[in-house]
Amino acid sequence: MALISETSILLDGGRVSRGNLTRARIRWVIAALVLVFLVVAGRLVEFGLTVRDSTIDGVARDVITATRPALLDRNGLEMAVDIRVPSLFAAPRDIVDVEEAVTKLRTVLPDLNEEWLRNKLTGDKGFVWIKRELTPAIQERIFQLGIPGLDFVTESKRFYPSGREAAHVLGGVNIDNQGTMGIEKHMDDEEVALLQELGIARDQALTPVSLSLDLRVQHAMHEQLTDALTRYQAIAASGVMVDVRTGEVVALVSLPDYDPNDPGSINAEYRGLKNQRFNRITSGIYELGSTMKTVTIAGALDSGKVRMSDSFDARFGVRFGRFTIDDFHGKHRILSVPEIYKYSSNIGTIKIMQAMGKDEFRAFMTRLGFDKPIPFELPEMRTPKVPEKFSEIVAATASFGHGISISPLHMAQAYAGFVNDGVMMPVTLMKRSPEEAAQLGTRIISSQTSREIRSLMRLNALAGSGSRMNMYANGYRAGGKTGTAEKVVKGRYAVGTNLNVFASGFPLDDPQYVMVIVIDEPKRENPQSGTTAGWNAGEVTGRIIQRVAPMLGISPDFSQILDDKLVPPAIR
Amino acid sequence: MIKTLNAIMVCTSLMGLVGVYALKYSVEDIAGEKAAIERKINRQKGELSLLLADWSYLNQPAHVAPIVARHKETLNLVPTKQEQFGSITALPMRPAAPDTAALDQLLNSLDAGIDPIEQLIEAN
Repeated sequence: MALISETSILLDGGRVSRGNLTRARIRWVIAALVLVFLVVAGRLVEFGLTVRDSTIDGVARDVITATRPALLDRNGLEMAVDIRVPSLFAAPRDIVDVEEAVTKLRTVLPDLNEEWLRNKLTGDKGFVWIKRELTPAIQERIFQLGIPGLDFVTESKRFYPSGREAAHVLGGVNIDNQGTMGIEKHMDDEEVALLQELGIARDQALTPVSLSLDLRVQHAMHEQLTDALTRYQAIAASGVMVDVRTGEVVALVSLPDYDPNDPGSINAEYRGLKNQRFNRITSGIYELGSTMKTVTIAGALDSGKVRMSDSFDARFGVRFGRFTIDDFHGKHRILSVPEIYKYSSNIGTIKIMQAMGKDEFRAFMTRLGFDKPIPFELPEMRTPKVPEKFSEIVAATASFGHGISISPLHMAQAYAGFVNDGVMMPVTLMKRSPEEAAQLGTRIISSQTSREIRSLMRLNALAGSGSRMNMYANGYRAGGKTGTAEKVVKGRYAVGTNLNVFASGFPLDDPQYVMVIVIDEPKRENPQSGTTAGWNAGEVTGRIIQRVAPMLGISPDFSQILDDKLVPPAIR
Repeated sequence: MIKTLNAIMVCTSLMGLVGVYALKYSVEDIAGEKAAIERKINRQKGELSLLLADWSYLNQPAHVAPIVARHKETLNLVPTKQEQFGSITALPMRPAAPDTAALDQLLNSLDAGIDPIEQLIEAN
């Protein structure tokens, strides 16, 4: 028993001590395992908390590769597209042999400065730009060099296939693909920047934006204005064409221009002068001369205080203190309203304005939006100079376009309203459907006045200063008004330096387009020709209409009935 | 009993090991393939954008106009004049019936040896 019990005690003790040992071992194993798992968990947390720095010079990588929507003209032809180009960067901390890298790189990119490159590649940085916007061929050659620590980012680069032709409309972008001028800047201000911010615009195709421009018309206008610069030895030329029914700008050209593919070229000197390449249609304000007479007469006819059949005494100049305003092509007799328009009589226009009343005349300008910059997509706009209140003499000079300065776009918008049955559409560079446009128009004159203005404009083409225009645009029922304004040089009107304007509409029996052409300081084409607007701005207008009217679906019609309906024989 | 259980567990863990590694490698393979395809797509997108730019450049009036100017002489190209446009409505209507009297007269005069067209040519 004792033995048994002793044995059992022994057995017991052995089991207990073995059990204790096992338990201790298990505890150690558990502790070790817990430790191991703690380490693993700790590392996991550490990895989770690590933020990988993927920025490029502090800018997120996908912002640099951000795309911009393509710009199309109204017929779907690309005016601006993104091309994807490789840009070379280096991670200096991964470069093993700086000297070798410098020598090898310069075999492919010899224009890189050796010292500059060595400084760039030395150091502990994770990212430095070496050269941006390369070609795929060069990318391939650099790959072949096999230098560690060099790599490429695919960047989007803006490309304007139309070159200079629509420069002022398109504007331009900087190297980070952000709009700096023109419609590009407008899009950034509006939504593209927001989309890029939200990450939507990154690395994916965006819906293309359709502009209102017609590239064919834009090309024709650009070509004709370029021709005008040499033909009339002018210092500048610009033009704008507007669809009167929708307010869409179909063409907008301003010369001298620049290449949007190289936006820096806007600052290049032009004939030894700086700052000449601005957009003269929107950010140039001018005294537009006699083209303003259409505005004055439209306002007067619409007020009901003047009728087409009225006559005004234009025998003597109008005196204001020591100034006398006289006519350029003086007739010095009693003139009817159509005659005042046809002969562009300053005296007659002043009398018409006075019959209307100067305050009502001023109010009419506000109605046409001549007080403020036009609400337009382009950021390059200038505030027009129109006095808040008209004195007698300011109202008199304003009636024939002197003493107030507006942009040619203002004039185009007003003329578009005059011929479009009196309904003025806000001008735009975005494609607009007739349904959308229908809700936007404001009535500026009555249908009756619109009809009368159209007949005056056509009359001027048949028998007035627009006849040289009509010679080229024969058959397209075009009509318009010339304006020859002496330019203000050093505070006074300079004889012989003119700003010539032609504001026109066509076809006037079914008004569709309005165009304003401005030629700055034109000279005689040949000794037989003149220097007034009909000889240059007018001829250019005629040539453009001749070129573009068939493209715009307007077919020529020579029938006398159309003109007889437009311009009743009674007013000829 | 325990031995068989152990053997089964060792087998299962070995199989698990093999399975997990196989999965890991296949995932890595697929990821590599995906990256390769993405690179290819990226490259092709780049090429496509260049081709699109080329295409739109070739379509520009600014590009086409100089070509027209270059071949002006050989192809005898001139801008269309207003007078060259016509419309369907400007065409005269088809005569209701053939003008038999005029035709008879023409045939008679031809029989008599007088060709009105020849006369017209001589008159000019």
